[in-house]
Amino acid sequence: MAELSGVVPPVRNRLGRARALHWGLALALLGCCFLSLQIGAADVSLTALLGKVARGEALGAMERIVLLEIRLPRLAMGAMVGAALAVSGAVMQGLFRNPLADPGIVGVASGAGLGAILAIVLGAMLPGWFLALAGNQLVPWAAFVGGWGTTLLLYRVSTRGGRTSVATMLLAGIALGALAGALSGILVYMADDQQLRDLTFWGLGSLAGASWAKVLAAGPLIAVALCVAMFLGRALNGLALGEATAHHIGIDVQRMKTVAILAVACATGAAVAVSGGIGFIGIVVPHLLRLASGPDHRMLLPNAALLGAALLILADVIARTIIAPGELPIGIVTAVLGAPIFLWILLRRRGFVEV
Amino acid sequence: MLSATGIEVRYGDHLALRGIDFRARAGEVSAIVGPNGSGKTSLLGAITATVPYRGAVMLNGRDIAGQRPWELAAQRAVLPQAARLAFPFTVLEVVRLGLQAGTSGARDEVPMLALSRVGMTEHAGRSFQDLSGGEAQRVMLARVLAQVWAPVADGQPRWLLLDEPVASLDIAHQLQVMDLARDFARAGGGVVAVMHDLNLTALYSDAVTVLSRGRCLASGHPRDVMTDDTLSEAYGCSLRVSVPPAEGLPYILPQSAAQW
Ligand SMILES: Nc1ncnc2c1ncn2[C@@H]1O[C@H](COP(=O)(O)OP(=O)(O)OP(=O)(O)O)[C@@H](O)[C@H]1O
Ligand SMILES: [Mg+2]
Repeated sequence: MAELSGVVPPVRNRLGRARALHWGLALALLGCCFLSLQIGAADVSLTALLGKVARGEALGAMERIVLLEIRLPRLAMGAMVGAALAVSGAVMQGLFRNPLADPGIVGVASGAGLGAILAIVLGAMLPGWFLALAGNQLVPWAAFVGGWGTTLLLYRVSTRGGRTSVATMLLAGIALGALAGALSGILVYMADDQQLRDLTFWGLGSLAGASWAKVLAAGPLIAVALCVAMFLGRALNGLALGEATAHHIGIDVQRMKTVAILAVACATGAAVAVSGGIGFIGIVVPHLLRLASGPDHRMLLPNAALLGAALLILADVIARTIIAPGELPIGIVTAVLGAPIFLWILLRRRGFVEV
Repeated sequence: MLSATGIEVRYGDHLALRGIDFRARAGEVSAIVGPNGSGKTSLLGAITATVPYRGAVMLNGRDIAGQRPWELAAQRAVLPQAARLAFPFTVLEVVRLGLQAGTSGARDEVPMLALSRVGMTEHAGRSFQDLSGGEAQRVMLARVLAQVWAPVADGQPRWLLLDEPVASLDIAHQLQVMDLARDFARAGGGVVAVMHDLNLTALYSDAVTVLSRGRCLASGHPRDVMTDDTLSEAYGCSLRVSVPPAEGLPYILPQSAAQW
């Protein structure tokens, strides 16, 4: 067999760099978690509490509530939602072979938005027993059902004879998005002032409604979807060569598409349901990671989960401290901080992005 | 042995191939030639289960219809006519994409060896998207080669299915790639190559199939198939085939198209 001949230059090992980055991101996530528990509107901090525990002093009820019932579920929700949005973005970009794709494309976001608006504006018309049953979880559930409904509809529209066309899905997603937008517009027109306020806040996204109930409802869905998504790395790498070649190198392309779409619908649907529309994470996080350590999805997906979680937790800390005791919608923070940083990075790369 | 019987490929209303019987033996380079749109890529598509087809394709004695993608991938590698790649992978990363999951150890060096076979080792660390057309094609060939590195595995031949492997290469690299294909076949593997260069085909192939308008016009040894009449009929222009006695291999000269 042939021997290696000639000059072989050292080849950058980007996978090794991505692995190193993985540990760095894990540390950063820990740091963000600490910050999130340490600071907030109330005068309670993790270090002070730990000090008290170490000295054997009893914790006050207020401190206990702030930490265990407010900050901790919020931290958990931020981590879940950030990881879900970032990983969903990376999976969608791999599936559509386009770095600009995001979960919104498969209709989850617009469908979930429509569901939420329906619940906010028309929810009061539902029978009383149903409202009592749903309690304050009506909007999240409506969003989740709306997101799933649109995804399944899109999947049906773009699948012929057992093969799904991602191009059809993209076009149909735009059409359905426009339809959902129009319906939402009609509902907004019908809404009263309080409902309008609710709508606006929902649209900007927020972790303010975090509770253990929501964490427990969305957490398992997101966790399962993300675990499944982590196994898509090799298949998404192969898909970069096109669907036919992916099949030639041994990837079951149709099964992979189905799994990817379901995982994204689950993760994004649940994330949008509990936190509203938080933009930007799904596109920026995978893009930054590709710049830092290459497009290999086997490390891109886990790294996206870590960076997405860390960034959203950080954004939430800012959202709830910067105008304390008031609170900004987190979507505003991710956009106001994220957009300039993203632009700066693009400028430094002289605006030239390889795709 | 790779055999396709009664192959029909249809795109909507358009019948691209009908009643094709195609056979390729391990140890040989089998060429498929024919004019643009005659159905060469479609035939390769059927053989690789890429396009829906009617008929039966047997690979090493087993029908490909019932096999999973990874079972097929262990037996054959496919070079598409046009290379495409989303995302800025490096050359070496692209070549690694073809490797089966979970392989390591001895096979770690296969991608670099494959790159050296196509003379692209110096470019291993570059972004694939920066390469020239011919360089990109050679890298894709290295990827295909890495996938079925051993021509024989578990006593069964493995297959290289190449759609116009030398299309955008300079003459030296055309020869290098055809040599590589022949070496693979001589070592016990099978090669099927769609070709446009009739002289290279005559030089390197052990069997030729001529397609024309979705039908098989002729197939057999290049000396028997590559005749004035067959080629002129297939391509619709006047071609003169000469066989110098010394080497015994036909070479093809175009004559004025105006005569036809
Ligand atoms: N996806 C498709 N949809 C519709 N028609 C197709 C499709 N692919 C190929 N065809 C048609 O089928 C016929 C055979 O195409 P094929 O690609 O097999 O030709 P070919 O022999 O490989 O040509 P070339 O030398 O140009 O590569 C052509 O007429 C082509 O227009
Ligand atoms: Mg072709």
